Amino acid sequence: MNRKRSLLQNMLLTLAIVAVLFFCLFPFVQILSTSLKHQFDWGNPSLIPVKINLNAYKELLGFVQATEEQIPATVKKLLENPLITPEQREKILAKYRSTSDVFPFPRFFLNTFLLSASAASVSLALAVLGAYAFSRLRFGGRTIIQRSILFVYMVGGVLLMVPLYQMSVKVGLARTVWGSLLSLLLIYIIQTLPVSLYMLGNYFRTIPYSIEEAATTDGCSRLQSIFVIIIPLSVPMLVTVFVYCFIIAWNEFLFASVFLKQYHMFHTLPLALQSLFVSKNAIWDRIMAASMLTLIPVIVCFMFAMRNLSGGLAEGGVKE
Amino acid sequence: MVSMELTPEQRESRLGWQLIAPCLGVIGLLIIYPILYNIYLSFFDVKLTGDKIFIGLANYERLLKDAAFYGSVLTTIIYLIGTVVGTTLVALLVALLMNIEFPLRSLVRTLILLPYFAPVISVVFGWQFIFDPVNGIYNHVMVEVLGLAAERHNLIGQPKTALFVVIVFDIWKHFPISYLLIVSKLQSINKDQYEAAAIDGYGPFGRFIHVTLPELYFVLGTLVILRLIWNLNKFEDVYLLAPNVQTLPIFTYYTAFTGIIDQGFAASISVVQFALLAFLIYFYVKKVLKW
Repeated sequence: MNRKRSLLQNMLLTLAIVAVLFFCLFPFVQILSTSLKHQFDWGNPSLIPVKINLNAYKELLGFVQATEEQIPATVKKLLENPLITPEQREKILAKYRSTSDVFPFPRFFLNTFLLSASAASVSLALAVLGAYAFSRLRFGGRTIIQRSILFVYMVGGVLLMVPLYQMSVKVGLARTVWGSLLSLLLIYIIQTLPVSLYMLGNYFRTIPYSIEEAATTDGCSRLQSIFVIIIPLSVPMLVTVFVYCFIIAWNEFLFASVFLKQYHMFHTLPLALQSLFVSKNAIWDRIMAASMLTLIPVIVCFMFAMRNLSGGLAEGGVKE
Repeated sequence: MVSMELTPEQRESRLGWQLIAPCLGVIGLLIIYPILYNIYLSFFDVKLTGDKIFIGLANYERLLKDAAFYGSVLTTIIYLIGTVVGTTLVALLVALLMNIEFPLRSLVRTLILLPYFAPVISVVFGWQFIFDPVNGIYNHVMVEVLGLAAERHNLIGQPKTALFVVIVFDIWKHFPISYLLIVSKLQSINKDQYEAAAIDGYGPFGRFIHVTLPELYFVLGTLVILRLIWNLNKFEDVYLLAPNVQTLPIFTYYTAFTGIIDQGFAASISVVQFALLAFLIYFYVKKVLKW
């Protein structure tokens, strides 16, 4: 195993590593590169922009107003045609105006952040209690509960889209903005709850009983020991689970599109980016800049939670 | 106090139920009930407003005659085979590579996890751009650099080729998690086993077949079945990259929320998909977890 590698072997190894890294990282480099390019430069295969263009970022973050709506030359010509009535002209202009409407990135960011953070918090709080119950307390029906949780953890949201929507319609939540947001919050909670229960349950089992026993003999009740012993001992894992749930909600598109499509100001980032993408073509710099800005918080979380995350995931607590 | 009359075991049991109750309530109301409600809805003509008319098995009869449904099943099968085989193989190869020692290994190991953690929404448009017929690097390389294609193609625009792009994208996006699980297993294999196999006269390949693979068998089996289950439920990855690739979840979504909306019919597609999923989960539980 420890023998020296020959030159050829070293070269092959380097080549393989470079190939894997290229495969993994190229799309990210492409996104970054395009987000910084001017339109004339998009078709240029070189990844280094001829001239750095920060306008897309400035626009998205609200430092500058969106540039004048870009009306194609052919349409401009059409507008100059005297035969066109003012109403028609207004209609054509509106088409371009409505789509080049300001894209309130910070607003969408905040929507997504609040929704994801609330869902992850509620899910984590419920899961701490539940996971404690089935990993450390003995009670009748415990096994069946554990197995059912594993089962629901594999049932994806797609199977529930029709019934959940219908339930929301039936109780009247889908009629209003806040009702729709509440429905979405509840849906994000249940999409993350099984995986939180599963990951935390696995983790709590690794905490030695003796520590808790020592606390209970000191007069701590079981309930108190959750807060005094279990939670402080699990902080890294709690952070990991929180980040994990947060990312699931942050990424969610399906239900957001079902419930929030008509409420433009309440769009989450996935929904907003997708509408930006389908509503206009040829705005690659803005789309890529928005992609980068969506990516950054996740990369930050990722670096923050990295140490525990890989361990937690390797133990089998994964959900997609 | 009442609790004084309970034995410690009873108190423990009661506390257990109290603590798990909120979770059970939420899961019951928002997962178990909807699964059953979905089956119920599949027997109705359901309007978006919530009005329902009982139509018996008509949705299922229609489903069995629907060419689009069979097309979607075929797409789903190709998608599942492509992604499951691709993800597992790439993950295995990369795990074997990352098990070799080289400078900066821990940095490389971290970097290759990035596709998995990146939000789908932040990377799909990058992929769209790569395959863009006008600006994309893919067409540039294929047409101008390698000359493998005579003209630029809109790969994502055509459902058939888009399926291929979706499969490659999914492999890229999901191999890191499989890789992570394989590499942690690889590290736990006892070095003595390799030395013993080397003494028995096995070369590197023989050692891989006789030592590594048997050790990885369980992990690989788990990964294959879990990937099947997860990808059967995949929506975002497919829909956002190529909305014209109609795997079952996307087919259901279109039926339930776009065009001629028919939620009862959509419910019946979900029921079929659920049956398939339940079978896979049962298989996973029986064969892999061995309950």
